[in-house]
Amino acid sequence: MLILGGLLLLAVAAGFVGAISGLGGGVFIVPALVVLAKMPMRVAVGASLISVVATSAGASVAFVRDGWTNLKVAMVLECATVTGAVTGAYLAGVVPTWVLEGLFALMMLQSAYFSLSKQSDALLTEGGPIARKLGLAGDVPDQAGRLRHYEVIHVRYGAPLMVLAGVLSGLLGIGSGALKVIAMDQVMHMPLKVSSATSNFMIGVTAGAGALVFLSRGDVATTIAAPVALGVTSGALIGSRFLPYLKVEHLRTLFALILLLIAAEMGWRAVNGL
Amino acid sequence: MARGERVVTMAVSVAQHDEHAREVEEDRILRVWTPILLRTILIVAVLVLATGLVLTLTIQPDYYMERYRQAQLGNLYGRENLRNFLPSIMAGQPHAVLTLGLFILTLVPLARVVFCFILFLRVRDYAFVGFTLYVLLGLIIGIVLGRVG
Repeated sequence: MLILGGLLLLAVAAGFVGAISGLGGGVFIVPALVVLAKMPMRVAVGASLISVVATSAGASVAFVRDGWTNLKVAMVLECATVTGAVTGAYLAGVVPTWVLEGLFALMMLQSAYFSLSKQSDALLTEGGPIARKLGLAGDVPDQAGRLRHYEVIHVRYGAPLMVLAGVLSGLLGIGSGALKVIAMDQVMHMPLKVSSATSNFMIGVTAGAGALVFLSRGDVATTIAAPVALGVTSGALIGSRFLPYLKVEHLRTLFALILLLIAAEMGWRAVNGL
Repeated sequence: MARGERVVTMAVSVAQHDEHAREVEEDRILRVWTPILLRTILIVAVLVLATGLVLTLTIQPDYYMERYRQAQLGNLYGRENLRNFLPSIMAGQPHAVLTLGLFILTLVPLARVVFCFILFLRVRDYAFVGFTLYVLLGLIIGIVLGRVG
């Protein structure tokens, strides 16, 4: 009972920090399970994938309803992320643990960079050939509530990045939200809020694809994954309620520092496992 | 107004009506049915998972601790045998109930893609019907790969 309570608390904390940092619970629950609960990487990845599905389920409904999500972009890019996620989750069964830990450390460095970098919000008026053909442009409300039109470019560069995001999601049990937002915001030049909402919508499907591989392979420790999913979801819910009252800008450096510490710990484990 | 102009005005009016009807249909699917169904699946999954955890804690005093230690050693319970899955759930076997809860949870993104498929089908956007089908196929391939892998 005490162990279950501890696991639930750990998951609630990971979900809370994941929600207020905007990085998602997976980034924090995998190292928490590996370092604090002494779980093997594979068990942590399986449990985390399930929790990512649970967390994104509630959040993306609101975004779709509010009109931020670009469903067409999400569907085109999901073809790439699902392909990557199924491949990554399949490979997770055969890739050595030290490789997973090393990749996780690199992903944490990328997330730390994302956490500190400033994204631009300039809207493009002319789209790329693929985006025009598929009608990927959209409208986004500005601060005054007026709809502003935006175009999308570089789908051919965004899609391979999404395959990579999917592979990393399936391998490491994370939503790869930071990589997805960077691909849409900085490569495809979509508005930041649209990129975040569309990424949130996609995270559930990407993690769901990986989770289905893990679940049908019997690679999910159900007694670990169930409390983790419940805890991370509750933590994310509490975090999203607290978010309007927190000065997140001031916490960015702290989040980046935590991510760097996780990167150092996972990197050290990878080197030791060589 | 000349006859030709009237025909053009009527055609524009019909096109605007069609566009409006499409938007209303899109709105109904997105804003009404999607959230209701997704929330229902999510609530059912949470209830099944909570039931599984209660069963885990009540079946035997040391059961949870034993499973926890085995997970730490990397010894997982293994996959459910499809033939025994339903009887195990009916018998209240914790692992089967928890597995069912986790599968229901992963239905949420799957249901979301199905909704997008219906949406694109209703508005006759066949390129995106194709993209959505590819995503659904990918999710199904994931299950098959997991079973054979």
